[in-house]
Amino acid sequence: MTARYSTWFCLTTGAMLLMALLLVIHAGVRTTADRLILRETTDLVRSLELTDLCLFTEASYTRHLSLADLRTPFQEYPLSLEHFPSGSLAAPPPYLTESHAPHP
Amino acid sequence: MPHTLEKQRHIIDFTLASLLRRKGKNGALFTVYTLIVFILASVMFFTYALKEEAALVLKGAPEIVVQRTLQGRYAPIPEEYAAKIKGIRGVMAVRSRVWGYYYDPVFMANYTIMAPESFSLGPGCIALGSGISRMRRAYEGDTISFTGADGKSRNFTISKILPQESQLLSADLILMAESEYREFSGLPPGLASDLTLKVRNPKELSTIAEKVVRLLPDSRPIIRNEILRTYDALFSWRGGLLIIIMSAAVLAFVIFAWDKASGLSAEEKKEIGILKAVGWETSDILFMKFWEGMTVSLTSFLAGTILAYLHIFFTAASLFAPVLKGWSVLYPEFRLTPFINPGQIATLFFLTVVPYTVTTIIPSWRAATIDPDSVLRS
Amino acid sequence: MIKVTHINKVYNAGRPNEFTAVRDVSLTVNLGEVTVLKGPSGSGKTTLLGILGCMVRPSSGRILLSDREITSLPERFLTQIRRETFGFIFQQFNLIKGLTALENVMAPAYPTGEKYAPLRARALESLALFNMGHKAAARVEWLSGGEAQRVAIARSLINNPAIIIADEPTAHLDTKLSHEFMAIVRQLKEKGKTILIASHDPIVYDSELMTSRIELRDGSVITPGSPA
Ligand SMILES: Nc1ncnc2c1ncn2[C@@H]1O[C@H](COP(=O)(O)OP(=O)(O)OP(=O)(O)O)[C@@H](O)[C@H]1O
Ligand SMILES: [Mg+2]
Repeated sequence: MTARYSTWFCLTTGAMLLMALLLVIHAGVRTTADRLILRETTDLVRSLELTDLCLFTEASYTRHLSLADLRTPFQEYPLSLEHFPSGSLAAPPPYLTESHAPHP
Repeated sequence: MPHTLEKQRHIIDFTLASLLRRKGKNGALFTVYTLIVFILASVMFFTYALKEEAALVLKGAPEIVVQRTLQGRYAPIPEEYAAKIKGIRGVMAVRSRVWGYYYDPVFMANYTIMAPESFSLGPGCIALGSGISRMRRAYEGDTISFTGADGKSRNFTISKILPQESQLLSADLILMAESEYREFSGLPPGLASDLTLKVRNPKELSTIAEKVVRLLPDSRPIIRNEILRTYDALFSWRGGLLIIIMSAAVLAFVIFAWDKASGLSAEEKKEIGILKAVGWETSDILFMKFWEGMTVSLTSFLAGTILAYLHIFFTAASLFAPVLKGWSVLYPEFRLTPFINPGQIATLFFLTVVPYTVTTIIPSWRAATIDPDSVLRS
Repeated sequence: MIKVTHINKVYNAGRPNEFTAVRDVSLTVNLGEVTVLKGPSGSGKTTLLGILGCMVRPSSGRILLSDREITSLPERFLTQIRRETFGFIFQQFNLIKGLTALENVMAPAYPTGEKYAPLRARALESLALFNMGHKAAARVEWLSGGEAQRVAIARSLINNPAIIIADEPTAHLDTKLSHEFMAIVRQLKEKGKTILIASHDPIVYDSELMTSRIELRDGSVITPGSPA
């Protein structure tokens, strides 16, 4: 006798709920375990007087989001992703991506 | 009670048997649905964990940073400003920070070079962020060269790699002694990049910031709270990419709902008629439709959410990486701490499972009350 | 016992296409009887069966089921009566496509919440009774007309109803299968079931199993029912 569809449904849902529960436990364990690391990172932030996350390194105003000055469009990195809509449509002019610096 | 339970199980049996008749269509529906939940839940897990982490670690950020603006842009600040600010009541300490950017033309990457207050490594020695180390394959003990402001190349010894665990903040950092950095970057003595303030009473932060501006009109103080707020708002739902993802998801949902709400097919109506004729009550039909919506949406919701968790916290948001990297060459690996917000998951549940189930039930409401005599002739 | 008095059924009342399908019908069906309704196409046989089986509400008149007035009961009770008292074999069989024969047979019992194992056993038994045991897992759209009908009969019996209603049961069957159907009717009659059949097939109409014959024309009864 093959199992009923409702049995399959209950088993699948049950298995997924169990999985979800395991993940909640995982989250709890990892969060507790990471607390020490996060505290160390906070200490690093304090000693180096850091202000920002290193999420986007394209330009100063994305690297240091909270320190960005009030009018900084296209800046340091020649390929930096624009904050303005037009910037995401037009490619940067080719002369900008050419490096004039001597290659070490 | 077991009687009602068995009845519901029968109805689920029937519903699933009916759904399995159109394996292709319902399979596609399940897949699309799971995908939508997966994307939404991934965005949710990622942004929440990132924000939580940012809020936690940035508690260590300076209480006030004072920048100087010149010609509308940010410029080095004279060190005598520090003495003036120190005169403000409530300011405990003022320190000048010396830091800046460095563009690496070979790797086309931007680094941040800092000269920390207590720098204990020897002359010619630097500490390197783990991101740069990974990208340039430069490790402790290696020599690395950078080109200074005068166009001359200088060699440095890497005597420390910053901890991997802190890469979300330090991946692109280079730490250097202040004197060496001034020489390297051409920042003349008497100027600093900006000033950081320690304040006696945290409640006075904004008052002190106001006093700083009054005293030095070309300065721009940034309070720690503003830093925290920047990161709290960073991935808000209005943020560029997120709104695209969200609207795509909403659009997909509208299509679902449209398909459902546009009514039942003639065949579905006939089946409802048959069931009523053989003794199914209106409530049984509605239960059937309820389960039809529930089985698809609940399993999709669970599958999508579980996959999203695995994606963000086990594979370090691998699918988002290309989007987040943007044009940057240097980026941290997102090994986030799994902070999760039960409220957000509940919201996702109510925004996905509930509307879908409701749109499945509603069109059958009228059909469930039709007279069964329609099945007497065809 | 089903007793109907002065039943009328008007479709599209008050509109230009108003049509009276059943006109002032009064009749009594006693328990254990096998009644056949005869009449030309469009004479109202199906409509009358629907009224007798609590599936169609008459426009006027009264229906008594075992001396209980059911004419004005709400839909919920009618559904329950349909489920518990009547088994229907429809003219088009009305099996649910895409499901197996077994699932079709079990469907009318689902709202009762009967335990799965005994229900399944009964359904299989019922199918086996009509030599359909080997097709239990087959999807109904692959069945032949005769097989589909036997599945429909098995389904009508699943809730063990007292009254079985069959609309043109032999319309899709050849002579041999029609005789087989009459054998099934005999079997059911011997079990004490009350049977109502609408048919203009002589194999059914002239069968010696019939205890009463009612002829309809333009919605009215033209020969009296049981001698009563
Ligand atoms: N819902 C309806 N609306 C309008 N007219 C209807 C409706 N249902 C049935 N009729 C009409 O009522 C009449 C009787 O129909 P019914 O189906 O009862 O006849 P029948 O005797 O069963 O015919 P057949 O032998 O062809 O099955 C027909 O003329 C039909 O057109
Ligand atoms: Mg008919």
